[in-house]
Amino acid sequence: MSTPNPRIAVLGNRVASSNIPDLKHFSDLSSLLAAPAFDVLLLDMPAAYAGRVLRKLRSTTAYRYQLVYCCRDQDGWCEALGDGACPAETSEIKTLWGIWRERFNLFRQGSAPERFEGRVLSWLWLRADAHVYALRDPEVPQHYRYPLLEALADSEQVNPFAWLSLMVQHEWLEEGVLVDRVRLCSDCGSGRLNYIDVCAECQAMDISRQPSLHCFTCGHVGSQESFLKDGLLLCPNCLNRLRHIGSDYDRPLENYRCRSCQAFFVDADVQARCLDCGLSHAPDKLRIREVRDFRLAEAGRFRCRQDFNDRSINHFGRLNLLGGKDFYELLTWQLQVVRRYQQPAFSLLGLRFVNLAGTLARLGEHRGHAFIDSLTDRLKESVRETDRCSRSTEEFFWIMLPHTDSKGLEFVTQRLGRVAELFSAPEVSDISLRVVSFTAPGDLLEQEDGELLLARLASELI
Amino acid sequence: MEQLYSLLSALMGTDGLSRLFFMLFPLFLMFELPLTIMVLLGVLRWFARRRTSVPKTSLYRPKVSCIITCYSEGMDVQTTLLSLCEQTYPGHIEMIPVVDGATMNQPTLSAVRSFYVDPLLYPRRHLRPIAKWQRGGRVSSLNAGLAHASGEIVMALDGDTSFDNNMVSAIVRNFEDPSVPAVAGSLRVRNVWGSWVTAMQALEYVLSIHMSKIGLAEWNLVNNVSGAFGAFRRSFLMKIGGWNTHTAEDLDLTLRIKSYFKRYDLKIPFEPEAIGHTDAPATLRQFLMQRLRWDGDLFFLYVRKHNHNINPDLLGWRSFLMILVSGFFFQLVLPFIILIYTLLALFILPGKTLLFLFALIYLLYLLITMLLFGAMLTMVSDRPRQDVTLALLVPVFPLFMLLIRCWSAVAMLNEMFRRGHEETSMAPWWVLKRATRF
Repeated sequence: MSTPNPRIAVLGNRVASSNIPDLKHFSDLSSLLAAPAFDVLLLDMPAAYAGRVLRKLRSTTAYRYQLVYCCRDQDGWCEALGDGACPAETSEIKTLWGIWRERFNLFRQGSAPERFEGRVLSWLWLRADAHVYALRDPEVPQHYRYPLLEALADSEQVNPFAWLSLMVQHEWLEEGVLVDRVRLCSDCGSGRLNYIDVCAECQAMDISRQPSLHCFTCGHVGSQESFLKDGLLLCPNCLNRLRHIGSDYDRPLENYRCRSCQAFFVDADVQARCLDCGLSHAPDKLRIREVRDFRLAEAGRFRCRQDFNDRSINHFGRLNLLGGKDFYELLTWQLQVVRRYQQPAFSLLGLRFVNLAGTLARLGEHRGHAFIDSLTDRLKESVRETDRCSRSTEEFFWIMLPHTDSKGLEFVTQRLGRVAELFSAPEVSDISLRVVSFTAPGDLLEQEDGELLLARLASELI
Repeated sequence: MEQLYSLLSALMGTDGLSRLFFMLFPLFLMFELPLTIMVLLGVLRWFARRRTSVPKTSLYRPKVSCIITCYSEGMDVQTTLLSLCEQTYPGHIEMIPVVDGATMNQPTLSAVRSFYVDPLLYPRRHLRPIAKWQRGGRVSSLNAGLAHASGEIVMALDGDTSFDNNMVSAIVRNFEDPSVPAVAGSLRVRNVWGSWVTAMQALEYVLSIHMSKIGLAEWNLVNNVSGAFGAFRRSFLMKIGGWNTHTAEDLDLTLRIKSYFKRYDLKIPFEPEAIGHTDAPATLRQFLMQRLRWDGDLFFLYVRKHNHNINPDLLGWRSFLMILVSGFFFQLVLPFIILIYTLLALFILPGKTLLFLFALIYLLYLLITMLLFGAMLTMVSDRPRQDVTLALLVPVFPLFMLLIRCWSAVAMLNEMFRRGHEETSMAPWWVLKRATRF
């Protein structure tokens, strides 16, 4: 399949040396946004401007996921929000865009992701080797920020660090390079800390270094002034004359004096004082945060591949499930047909996966997912194209089989027996399958509609 | 020849012994005793003066520059620098360690560089190191330091000598008198019990140098301002041109200062309270080589270099006579007399007589030594408890002095015939080659 040429636009003043044939040229952002969205964007401006433009582009819907290359130098913002330096060849842009388009089409089949996590995951998934980069910024109290998360947040209030650790717990993102380790105030989370040395006894800040002496003869330690007398050093305790450092006296290790409690000590304590909220802590009580880059993990990629549709979250999406009301109506209509014409016969199968929800929770998102996938595959084998399925609750699964009498039903039930084989694996052995069947017109009751029928059958499965 | 033989036969007669005794005894009395008495009187005078003096506080606090000549001392330099930082002197002290041949002496240079003067602990101490990459000798180090010194007082110190913390204040108070161009400091042996040689030297430093300088200084007769520890008024030092090449630059400088004594009525005091501690040579061989240099240089300076300076018109009669007696006679002539006398006695006298005579002379010297030692302990010593242990060495001391005297004759012969001063280790050959030959 030949990929069409991408529509490329240049923002800034791109020189003519470029060998890209058809380029749209824009000199400012507003005119670019006014035009219909392009596939690939080249930014030809210094890094500082490019970073700012990228921030705006990523927060508009038109250019949120598009490929944007920087043609000049790049700063941290460009690296975090852009797609790197502009490739030299048009063909290269075309191949890169081809890959991007393939994935983009996949997830566009569903609606564009509306939730924040969906936006971030799909942004990462659309690019081959994309990261959520941490950027050092002295203006933020935490010292580091994640430009991508900020740009994609729209109006949502997101705590990037909490959100990222949640994503890692879900195994959608995995940790990349450790960029830094910052210490933050345990109260307000600010990283603007001032480390001060304080008295070891009373924690007062008013301490000073005091030149002191240590007499070898009697061991007296005191301030230098107390030893000086008429230009000679005399120990005030033993009155010995101290002549030579190293043989008569030395400088003791204790050389800090607290001016408020008069304590004399070797090493001052250190306190970290938050410049934002004013709280003082011991340095080991500070919150330590590792600042990292993040990239898409295997589970995240899988999640993206499954399309961001809501149905994917309802695990049996591939079975063309009908919503509860539609299924009732269909069933009622079939009952009416059978009651009136006595044919064609149809059957209803009720399946109950006992303990399914609990087991899925225990397996965790990732492995539960794989299990549901294989279960769906087995069910799909048993279900024919004309059959209709529905789920009334998490554990109950209904299959309506038109033109199927009790013989045909028996055949189907046999095939369903293979589904139960899945539950022999040790980690899913808690799950058991219960089956109930109904065949019209044989089992038909008076005055019973679809809803009542389901309720009756469900009570048999409990 | 016959005359000599008859003289000798007369001496070898029955009463020869007494004759010889009478011949030699006055010699000792005439020269050795007056000097000893003069020193003891000087010490007594100093002692009395010190006991009765009123302690005075002075506001004279000039900046002091200490030039520390360093060569291969290594980390010992830091001890020296620390002891200077620790001075109780309230004025400013500028420390100028000059590392000679810094290319070769990297450990010394890095010891100087890594020394940190804590401005809070030592607010008035300043370190200004100089690295002389090419070796130029001691004199060149001192002159380089002098060129950079900014203090009113300049001290020439050795890199392996550390000081008591009142040293600078003790030295500086002497300079308050404008007629003082230089002050001599006292040295003690740091490694006293390192070996028997260092122990003997420790006693010699205390008795023959420390005490005799106290005595002589009372009469303004200090013979030498030690090179390892001396202080000078910078203006004076600049005028006479700093230190001069050749060896024994300390004695050379002292003699040059003394040649202004007559014209300006100057004084060179000795400050017994300013004490430096230095390492003495630990083996006999090192010790003898040191003395070979010292005594040879003495001959070189008195006889070859400064023979015209030794003149009452320049020195004044008192200093002239002193140099004549103590410098020429005691240090240049007496060693030969003693050496010849000892050799003659060994060859000529019969065993018994020899033994008796030597015992007599030994006892005489022992008596003098004990007298001096007692005076030293009671009046002079600043560390009597430490010095009293040296009393063990007093019986051996006269023999040690005899050895030194005889060796000094050898040193002079070495200088006379081999021009020993030209092989000094104090400066490299390319510096000595340029010096004027005397």
